Amino acid sequence: MDFSHTAERISQKITSHGHPVEKSGIEAKLRRLVDEFGVPPAEAERTVLNELAREFGLPVSQGGGSGGAVEQKSLGTLANGEWVTVECKVVALTASPSPAIAQTGIVADESAAVRFVVWSRANAPHLDEGKWYRFESAVVDEYRGMLNLKVHSGTTIREVSHEGSLRPKITPVAGLAPGVACVRGKVVQEWEATHDRILQSGMIADESGAVRFVLWKEEGLERLNPGRVYTIYYATVDDFNGRLSLTLNTATVVPEEGDIDVNTGSESFQGAFVHLAPGSGLVRRCPVEGCNRVLSRQNYCPVHEIQSRYHYDLRIKGWLDNGEETREILVSRAQTEGLVGMSLDQARELAENNPLGMDEVFLRFREALVGRYLLCRGRQIDNRLLVSTCEILHYQPEQLADLLNRAGGSL
Amino acid sequence: MTNGTGKGMAGRRDGVFEREPARRVFAQELKESRVHFKEGQDEKSPSYILLPTGARCNRVFFAGTLTEKKKQGEQNMFYRARVVDPTGTFFVMAGSYQPEAMQQVARLEPPCFVAVVGKPNVYQTPDGAVLISIRCESITQVDKDIRDQWVLDCAKATLDRIETSAGTPDGERARKEYNIDPGLFRKMVYEALAQLKI
Repeated sequence: MDFSHTAERISQKITSHGHPVEKSGIEAKLRRLVDEFGVPPAEAERTVLNELAREFGLPVSQGGGSGGAVEQKSLGTLANGEWVTVECKVVALTASPSPAIAQTGIVADESAAVRFVVWSRANAPHLDEGKWYRFESAVVDEYRGMLNLKVHSGTTIREVSHEGSLRPKITPVAGLAPGVACVRGKVVQEWEATHDRILQSGMIADESGAVRFVLWKEEGLERLNPGRVYTIYYATVDDFNGRLSLTLNTATVVPEEGDIDVNTGSESFQGAFVHLAPGSGLVRRCPVEGCNRVLSRQNYCPVHEIQSRYHYDLRIKGWLDNGEETREILVSRAQTEGLVGMSLDQARELAENNPLGMDEVFLRFREALVGRYLLCRGRQIDNRLLVSTCEILHYQPEQLADLLNRAGGSL
Repeated sequence: MTNGTGKGMAGRRDGVFEREPARRVFAQELKESRVHFKEGQDEKSPSYILLPTGARCNRVFFAGTLTEKKKQGEQNMFYRARVVDPTGTFFVMAGSYQPEAMQQVARLEPPCFVAVVGKPNVYQTPDGAVLISIRCESITQVDKDIRDQWVLDCAKATLDRIETSAGTPDGERARKEYNIDPGLFRKMVYEALAQLKI
């Protein structure tokens, strides 16, 4: 049996890590295993390779003799559970969240970008931002709908040279999906931090839509300026309870000159108001500056606990329905007062002088709203419409003539 | 209206709650329905009735005249109510599993205009007749303006179904199950509209 090809393969793998080995020695070892001990050739190859890898302190392959020849793929074609070989550029490195992780960040090629994780146990070489690498036998897995490239002890990594520069593809906000994406948009809202670790959160919009963003506290990171346009390269798109959010910690954020048209409130929806959700009517809000959360019955704020110096507000949460589709709508005080015909002061008075308290306001809201046809305009995030203007619709006799014609047309 | 993006992007993702739309259907068409089915094996997967004009229906919204309400049962008290539209009668029920709707019915004095949101249920009587009743989620008193708006809304929705049913799987299924031409419901729509004042 001829072992020279196998020996050549093993020799190349070891030499690529900078350890020249004698091919004849490898061949002898293989021959001994196969001829003397009856080991299958593939298993012999694995054994010899591992032995040498251990000798030189290289990452040990655990492919189990699966052939090792994994087809090279582009990042855009990865699928969950695959073992892959890819060539890509490290475009972002982020602080490791755990000692078990040596490095984490984002790699990109012409087709896509994905998050990657290098386990500490992988003994992998240190990766530098901006360089291209070839990852052999990395594993693709999925977390919350987002693909990850995992570098483990069986992965071999080699720096490669790459011709031409990588041109990141900008995704319209409305087309975002969990993963990694580049976005050009304007900071249209800034929200007060709801957590100690949040540096900034708010909303970014472009021509196609709006998405929330969050920037976690990290050394050297700066807040974005509201009203400014930015190009954001390689942000992580998370899916949290079905709502998307951009995490900018991985991203390179470049301020742009000028302004863009943003999709601020062009969505509209017309239908019957079919359900008034709990939390509508008269509510008490948390007084902590910038929090403004609605308190529970016991005046409990999910972040700031018991608050007794709350302030009152009116709002509508509920569902519009046109018979084919539904939209959750959220209406703030000014529009609510007009729709229900009750001011905040009247609502407070009603609550104070009624045995049911704030529930009475809810019941009045329900009687005034459920079953009414409404036209709402506002900003849509996922399936929820944040209503900026809303009107009650009325019977339009001119529609009757049209419909009579339509119904009678082919009688 | 640009409501395409929301549906296409967010609606299909897992974990995003999608509320079942409330179909607009005249009493006469609802009375003709008898096919009901469930999508999925889960206890919580929605159940539907198949409308003869070819659409699945998990929930309905209608406005009409409350003509009668009746309290029934001792231990498990519930209300039966009749709500009339230009084509026939809806049978509405509100039981102890719908305490809020029950309280709403209790406060209403027939006759009055009401708007009802509820889920249709199919019952078979011992002699084989099929009855559809609406389990009420909400019933609120409204004015004639809203009742008239609903008649227009329902007429339009019914005509839309009649005109598109031929090309949809549910439309094909309805044609097979009911063996009637959905076009026959045009007459019902026309007569309902004719009762409104121009």
